[in-house]
Amino acid sequence: MTRRILLTILFMGLGYGLWLSPSFKEIAAGVALFLFGMLSLERGFRSFTGGTLERVLRASTNRLWKSISFGIVSTTLMQSSTLVSLVTISFVSAEMITLAAGIGVIMGANLGTTTGAWLIAGLGLRVDIAAYAMPALVFGVVLLLQDSRTLKGLGYIAMGVGFLFLGIAYMKSGFDAFTQVFDLSAYAIPGFAGVLIYTGIGMAVTVIMQSSHATLLVIITALATNQISYDNALALAIGANLGSAVTTAIGGMTADLGGKRLAIAHVFFNLLSAVVAISLIHQVAWTVDYLAALIGIGADDHLLKLALFHTLFNLLGVILIAPFTFQLAAALERYVRFAPKPMEQPRYLYAGALETPGTAISALRKEVGRLYDNAYDLIARGLSLERALIDSDQSIKDAVRATQRIMPLDVDDVYERKIKSLHSAIIAFISETQGRGLEGASAEQLYELQQASRNIVAAVKGMKHLHKNLSRHAMSASPVVREPYDRIRAQIAKLLREIQQIRTQEAETVTSLSLDALKLSLETSSQQFTADLNERLRGQRLAPTVATSMMNDEAYSFEIGERLIEAAKALLQPGSVHDEAVENMLALDDEDIAQIAERQSHANPQGAHHGLQETTR
Amino acid sequence: MAYKKLLDKLRQFLAADQAAQRKELDSIRKVTKKLKSKARELGAKLEETLPGEEHAEIAAKLEIIEAQRSKALKLIRELRSGRDQEKAERPPGS
Repeated sequence: MTRRILLTILFMGLGYGLWLSPSFKEIAAGVALFLFGMLSLERGFRSFTGGTLERVLRASTNRLWKSISFGIVSTTLMQSSTLVSLVTISFVSAEMITLAAGIGVIMGANLGTTTGAWLIAGLGLRVDIAAYAMPALVFGVVLLLQDSRTLKGLGYIAMGVGFLFLGIAYMKSGFDAFTQVFDLSAYAIPGFAGVLIYTGIGMAVTVIMQSSHATLLVIITALATNQISYDNALALAIGANLGSAVTTAIGGMTADLGGKRLAIAHVFFNLLSAVVAISLIHQVAWTVDYLAALIGIGADDHLLKLALFHTLFNLLGVILIAPFTFQLAAALERYVRFAPKPMEQPRYLYAGALETPGTAISALRKEVGRLYDNAYDLIARGLSLERALIDSDQSIKDAVRATQRIMPLDVDDVYERKIKSLHSAIIAFISETQGRGLEGASAEQLYELQQASRNIVAAVKGMKHLHKNLSRHAMSASPVVREPYDRIRAQIAKLLREIQQIRTQEAETVTSLSLDALKLSLETSSQQFTADLNERLRGQRLAPTVATSMMNDEAYSFEIGERLIEAAKALLQPGSVHDEAVENMLALDDEDIAQIAERQSHANPQGAHHGLQETTR
Repeated sequence: MAYKKLLDKLRQFLAADQAAQRKELDSIRKVTKKLKSKARELGAKLEETLPGEEHAEIAAKLEIIEAQRSKALKLIRELRSGRDQEKAERPPGS
């Protein structure tokens, strides 16, 4: 509600400003184009993540100085600290890099983002930048129309650069015109009060625009046209830095634990840099003057001096915090923990359901179904696939191949809250029901549901082990490593899809015998996986240690599949006692399945991939 | 194939009264009907699918259903012959 009110006020204010002043219109259009350029640039670079960025990140974070350097270089190249922070957060969440390394990258990204000010002050306002914008936009659009993902990505980057340049050009001309009718410098506030007020303004503007780059652009352009004083511009730059920490903090609150800790570290870093810069603003300004003279920046070149100030106070933050990075990481790990979330409560297991065996079993079947659904969510996320995608008829194979990032998942936390709590309630309810004395078919069904609940828990535990290695290897840049993990992910996803299709069929048409086909698929894909792995080992295309890990992971995958199929059998609504007995009689046993799998591998030696690949379309 | 399981079932079937025997046979027919309809559905899908991975998978599913149906037919045959034999051994008028 508050958001809506604020948005309305913003629209009204902007509308009034745009109607009132043509130069404001130009400035606002410049900011809008600049922001759009940033978004486009980020989108372009995003299409390249999942490969190079991740590979370099993993390889360059084993030492603190490397982490900081990675942050500086990647942010300088991409001009988007948001994207670098985002990838870092996902890596910390997946425990692929340590929190300390993540903090290093964030510090580096803060320093890297200051190169933006240098580019705008040094280049953006000194040359006819709009002239460069046009070719970038033209080439960008042509590239964007291509089918290739890489070319499309390049197109977004070119368009991003084009819009950034265009935005800068509009801002420049807008401020030039603005100066002739209005003099903002009359509102300059000298002294410490001015520092505080302008820091607040810089912060607010950055929070609204969600980009410290855009704020810096406004500050530098305003400074270039003498609309603000140099001292106030310094305070605005401090505010822009603080504002970016606020935006990260807002984003971090919705992230998982790793994201939260990194967001807090980011806020801490920016806050400390700001406090130090505000308290020592005269000393820092003096150092800027001294260094500027040293590197040949003119005393009245306030634009470059502002860029130098921006870099210097961020560097000050890095110097102050870097020696204590590990202590900061340890403190965050110790004090920032998950707020205990409520445990999942059973929905169908109430005392009244115990009255008759029929109601007790029906309630149990529904609750075990709920447990299965929770496990389904967890396993899908563990595979880094959306459940909606698995439930749809989209190609699983394509989705698996296109995955660029492992989804953050705290398996232990979800297990405790959504699986174990329900499993315990189910077991307690079963024990209560048994206490009332059940016989014959009811006792058997009760036993089957108990087994189903245990099978679901076992599948989740298998996923927990598998998830660790998926986090490490599933996004590997080496196809020899990635491909087998893609097959494992696709196999489980396909199984989840088929079980779901069986579960949602009409009771009149469904039979648990359909699950035998899934068993066969599991068996043949497992055989093929092992055969392929052996072949790669023989061809020395895979190190034996990696192959062993893959075999273990395939075993977890097989276990997950087997347990889910068994659980699904108990979840299908049985017909009469006779129907159930007949289905049990006609179900193929392990020996039958193995025989058919054997026949298939002989008949179709090349296509035996089918367990994984064909179904995943 | 699990013949022992089939024989056990046959023994249980013969021990059951006629009403129960009829229910048992009805259930087998019901399940077989479901399998037949599933096989028909898959068969039609198989004809529409070009040879390849998906084709092989549908064929595998059909093979599973065939194995299950042949088990069902065997069971029906055993049950019927057991019942006929029981009738033949029963003294006239009983």
